Amino acid sequence: MPKIETHENLFYSLCGKRYTDDELVDIFPVAKAELDGREGDKLKIELNDTNRPDLWSAAGVARALRTYESGKKYEYNFFSTKDDVKDSGNRCIIDDASALGIRDYSIAFAAKGCKVTEEILLTLIQSQEKLCSNFGRKRKTIALGIYRSDLITYPVHYCGADPDKTRFVPLGMTEELSLREICEKHPKGKEYGYIVSDKPLFPYLYDDKGETLSFPPVINSAKIGAVEVGDENLFIELSGPILDDLLLTASILSCDMADMGFEILPVRVKFAKETKYGSEITVPYYFQSSQSCDIAYARKTLGEELTEDECKAALTNMGVDSSINDGVITVKVPEYRNDFLHAADIVEDIMIGHGLLNFAPVLSAEFTKGSLSPAEEYSRKVKRLMVGLGFQEMMYNYLGSRKEYVDNMHISDEKVVFIANPMSENYEVVRPSVLPSLLESESVSGHAQYPHNIFEIGKVVYKDENDNSGTVTKNHLGFMSSDNQVGFNEAISYVNTLMYFLNKEYTLQAVENDGRFIPGRAAKVLVNNVEVGLFGEVHPQVLESWGCSMPAIMAEFDIDALL
Amino acid sequence: MDIDVKNLHPLEVRLLRAVKMGEDITAERIIKELDYKVGQCNQAFSWLSAKGLIVEKNRVKYAFYELTDTGKSQAELGLPVERIFTFLKENGAHTLPEIAASLSLEQSDVGSSFGQLSGAKCAALNGERKAELISDSLPNDVVIARALINKALNAPLMEADLTKEEKNAIKGLAKKRGAAASTFKYVEKEDVTYTLTSDGQEVKDALLKANITGEEFGLLTPQMIQSGSWKNGTFRPYGLNAPVSRIIPGRTNAYGDYLMWVKDKLVSLGFEEFDGPLVENEFWNGDALFMPQFHSARDIHDVYYIKDPVHCKEIEEPWLSRVAKTHEDGGDTGSRGWGYTFDHEFTRRQVMRSQGTVLSAHQLPKAKVPGKYFGVARCFRYDQVDATHGADFYQTEGIVVGKDVNLRNLLGLLKMFAEEVAGAEEVKYVPGYFPFTEPSIEVHIKHPKLGWFELGGSGIFRPEVTRAMGLDVPVLAWGLGIDRMALMHLGLNDLRELFTPDIESVRMRRGN
Repeated sequence: MPKIETHENLFYSLCGKRYTDDELVDIFPVAKAELDGREGDKLKIELNDTNRPDLWSAAGVARALRTYESGKKYEYNFFSTKDDVKDSGNRCIIDDASALGIRDYSIAFAAKGCKVTEEILLTLIQSQEKLCSNFGRKRKTIALGIYRSDLITYPVHYCGADPDKTRFVPLGMTEELSLREICEKHPKGKEYGYIVSDKPLFPYLYDDKGETLSFPPVINSAKIGAVEVGDENLFIELSGPILDDLLLTASILSCDMADMGFEILPVRVKFAKETKYGSEITVPYYFQSSQSCDIAYARKTLGEELTEDECKAALTNMGVDSSINDGVITVKVPEYRNDFLHAADIVEDIMIGHGLLNFAPVLSAEFTKGSLSPAEEYSRKVKRLMVGLGFQEMMYNYLGSRKEYVDNMHISDEKVVFIANPMSENYEVVRPSVLPSLLESESVSGHAQYPHNIFEIGKVVYKDENDNSGTVTKNHLGFMSSDNQVGFNEAISYVNTLMYFLNKEYTLQAVENDGRFIPGRAAKVLVNNVEVGLFGEVHPQVLESWGCSMPAIMAEFDIDALL
Repeated sequence: MDIDVKNLHPLEVRLLRAVKMGEDITAERIIKELDYKVGQCNQAFSWLSAKGLIVEKNRVKYAFYELTDTGKSQAELGLPVERIFTFLKENGAHTLPEIAASLSLEQSDVGSSFGQLSGAKCAALNGERKAELISDSLPNDVVIARALINKALNAPLMEADLTKEEKNAIKGLAKKRGAAASTFKYVEKEDVTYTLTSDGQEVKDALLKANITGEEFGLLTPQMIQSGSWKNGTFRPYGLNAPVSRIIPGRTNAYGDYLMWVKDKLVSLGFEEFDGPLVENEFWNGDALFMPQFHSARDIHDVYYIKDPVHCKEIEEPWLSRVAKTHEDGGDTGSRGWGYTFDHEFTRRQVMRSQGTVLSAHQLPKAKVPGKYFGVARCFRYDQVDATHGADFYQTEGIVVGKDVNLRNLLGLLKMFAEEVAGAEEVKYVPGYFPFTEPSIEVHIKHPKLGWFELGGSGIFRPEVTRAMGLDVPVLAWGLGIDRMALMHLGLNDLRELFTPDIESVRMRRGN
C-alpha cells in the first residue's frame, strides 16, 4: 500500500487548517488513510485504497479532508471536454506513428505562476514516483516527466527513434549517450530500460528545435529535463500504452498542482491514431462518464432508509456531485477519480460521506446451522487417541528446504512440489510428508527429557497427475517416538491400538526400498486393500543426516483415506 | 515453632522420641539404641540440627589405625620381612631375586625388607652376594608390629593408647590416603555430642501428642494388603511441601487448542467450516475475486509460484468465461469491468494459496442461501520471515450469504466477533479497502491487554465477484487476525514461535 511523507506546514496549508495528531487519526479514515508516524515536522501517511491514486499525495488527502469537513466540492476550470475545449495557445504535442506499438501515447499539460520550492519539488517527485510505480506498474503503463517549459520550443514531438543513432546527455551524466547506451550504462536505464529494450525503436521526446526532452520511460535530458528550485514554468508529459490511465494521472497531477498554487495551462495533444476521444484532445481532459445507482440498491446494501437529500449530502461530502431522478442517483465523477466501476462504488461513498458511525450494528436474524468439516471432526478424534497414547501434539510450518524434506529423508524428489520463486532455499519446498517435521523436532530437542512422543495432524502436498493441478493436498497424521529403547514392536503396538479405536480392520505389507526405514522393519497399513499409512523403525542414515542420536520409530497416516 | 510434624522423616521422629532434655546425644548411643546405621544417624543429626531441634554441645577429635585388606592378609601370611626371615631360616642363603621369585614378592619389597633386616643386624650379604641370616631372632620393631597387627584384628588401635615404640613401629606401615597397599589406614575422626533444644522439646511434645512414632507404614505394598499387616500399624502422613517430580503428559498443542476454540466459537454462531487445497491457481486466488491481473499484490514478489506443473489443466466453466468477461467489460454484473484483455494462460498459473478468501470464492457457486461459512486457512506469502511474518500462517475467513444481508448486519457480525472471540471492550469501524469488497470495513477493537488494534477486515463482496459466480444475493465477507490474539493468549511475541519444532517449549506452553 502506498505510503507518503509530507511536510506538515505544506499539508496543513493545503488543508486550510491545522490538526493535532489525534484529530488526524480520527479524520483520516475518510480518505482511507492512516497516520503511520511522524519524523520531526514530517508526517508519514499510509493510503489503503489502491484504486484511488488521487489520494496518494498530500494535496489529494488534504482535498478529501477539506471537502468532507466543509461539504464543499473543489472546482477546477482548466479541464477540457470534447465540446468545451480550453485555450492551449501555441502549446502542442504531436505523437508520431513511429511510436505506435511501442508506447502508443504521450500527452502533456503545462503550469506556471508558482515558484518551485524545495517542499514543492519533493512533493512533485514523490507524486511522480507513487503514480508511476504503483499506479503505473513501475513505469510500464505510466511514465511521467517534468520539464522547464521556458527552454521548450513548441510543438513538442513524440516518436519512436533509432536507439543507436539518437543521442543526448541524460540527467545525472555529462556525456552524450545513445538511447541503447543509456539502457546499458545509466542507473535508470538499468532499472527501466527493459520496458522498451526489445523494441525496434525507442520512445523519444524532443522539441521543435530538436532539443531533447527525454527518453521515456527511462530518463530526462540533463538540460530541459532538469527542474530545479526557483523554476516557475513547467511542462508535464506522460507516456504509456493505456490512454485512460494517462489522462487520469494528468488530471490528478494538474489538480494537485492547482491546489498548490500553480496556474494550469492546457496543451493540445495530436494523437498518431484515432482514439475514443478523437484524434486530438486538449489536456487536462475530462474523460470520465457518469455512473448511476438505484437508491433502493443503496438503501438495501446499507440497511438504512436514507432520504434522497441524505444521499446527495453524503456524496457532496465526498466531493461528488450527484442528481436523483426517479429513484436513480447519477453521479458526476470528480476529475481526479476513475474508480466508479459499479453502483456499489457509489454506495461506499454514500456510506463514508454519511458517516460510518451513523449506521447501527444489527445482527441478521436468518438461521443457519454451524458445523465442523468432516476432516476436522475426524482429526479431533485421532488427536484424542494420540494424546491418550501419551503423545505431545506439535504444529509446523509447511514450507522448508530441500535438505529437510528430501535429502535428509533419503527419498527421491519426483513427487515433491517445489516453489519456482523461493525467497530463500530455507523455504523452497512444500512438505510432502509430516515425518521430516517430526525429525526436525528431534534434531533440535536433545535437551528435552525422553521419551519424545510427538505427533501432528496437518496438511501435506505431493504430485498427482490425476488432479487438475497435478498435485494433491492431504490431511496427514504423523507420529514419532524416540527413546534409548524403542523399536519396531512399539511401533506396531501403537498402530494396532490406533486402528482398533478407529474401528479399522487392517493388514500389513512389508515396505521395500524405503530409505527412511531400516530394511525389514517397516510396513504399509492397508484397509480394504487400500494403503492408508506406513510405519517403521527410522533408518540410522536418516537419524545421522538429522544429527539425531536416539533410536526412533515413526508412522504416517492419510486421514482423508481413513475418513 | 513453625514445623509441620508430618513433614519429619521417620529417622528424625524416632530420634526425637528417644531423647530427653539435657541428655547427651551421640552417634554411638543412637546407633546402639535405635539400631540406625552410621549414615542414617548422620542424616538424622544433620536434618535435626538444620531445623534447630538439636544443637551441638561439644566435639572431640581422635585418631586410630585400622587394618586394610592388605593388612588383614598380612596378619595371616606374615609381613614381607617376616616371610623373608623364615625363608632364609629354612632354606639357607639365597640371592634377593631368588627370594622374590620364591615368595612371589615384588623386588622392591624384598629390597626394603632386606634393608630392614640388615639394618637391625639380622641378615647380611655373604661373599656370593647372597642374603643369609646372622641372627636367630627378628628385629624388635617387627615383633612389635606383629603384635599390633594381631591386636588390630579385634578392634582399631586408638592412637592415644599406643606407646612411643609402638607408634614408631606402626608409622612405616600406615597411610592416611591411598592406603590400599599399606597394612594400616590412619583415620582421624570427631565425635560430636548433641543435646535437645527447647524447640526440639516442643516438636517432641507435638509428636507425642499427634501420636507419631516414626514406625508408621511408608509405601502400602500388595503384600501388606494381602497379609492384612496394614492393620497392625498406622500410615505415615506425607508432607505437602516436598519437591514434586515431573510427569510428561500426552497433550494437545496450545496454539491448536486456541484454533479449536475459535472454530467451536464460530460453529456455535452458526458457521459451517470449509477447507481447500494449498496449491491454487491465479483464477481462484485472484481473478475470481475481481483482482485485476495486473494488480500489484499479484506480483512475483508477493506470491509463491509452483515450479511444476506451472499451470493447472483447466479452469472450470462457466466460471472461467464469466469471470474473464467481468474483468474485461463487467459482463452481466452491472460493472464496467477493468477494461483490459483477460489473460487465459496467466489465470491457469499455479500459486501457493496467498489469502483465505480463496475458500470463500470456491464456496460461492455452491453456497446455500442463507448460509454462513468459515475456514482457518494456511496461507503463503513471499515475505522475509521475521517476528511478524511467517513463510506460512493461518488466516481465519468467512462469508455470510443471505437475501437481505446488509452493511448493518456486517457491523453487527463484527461486533459479535469482537466481543465473543476477542473479548473487546470497545469496537470502532473505519472504511477500508479490499479489491473484492465494496463497501469495505476495518474493525478496530480495544482489547483489555493489547489496547487498540485492527481485529480484521471485511466488506460486502463486489457484485463483480458474486454475480460472476452465479450468486445474485449479497455476501458479507470477513477475515479476522487471529494470530495476534493467539500470541497474547500464549504469552508469546514472535509469530515464528507458533510453529516451533522445539519439543520442550511446546510441552511447557499453555494458554492464559
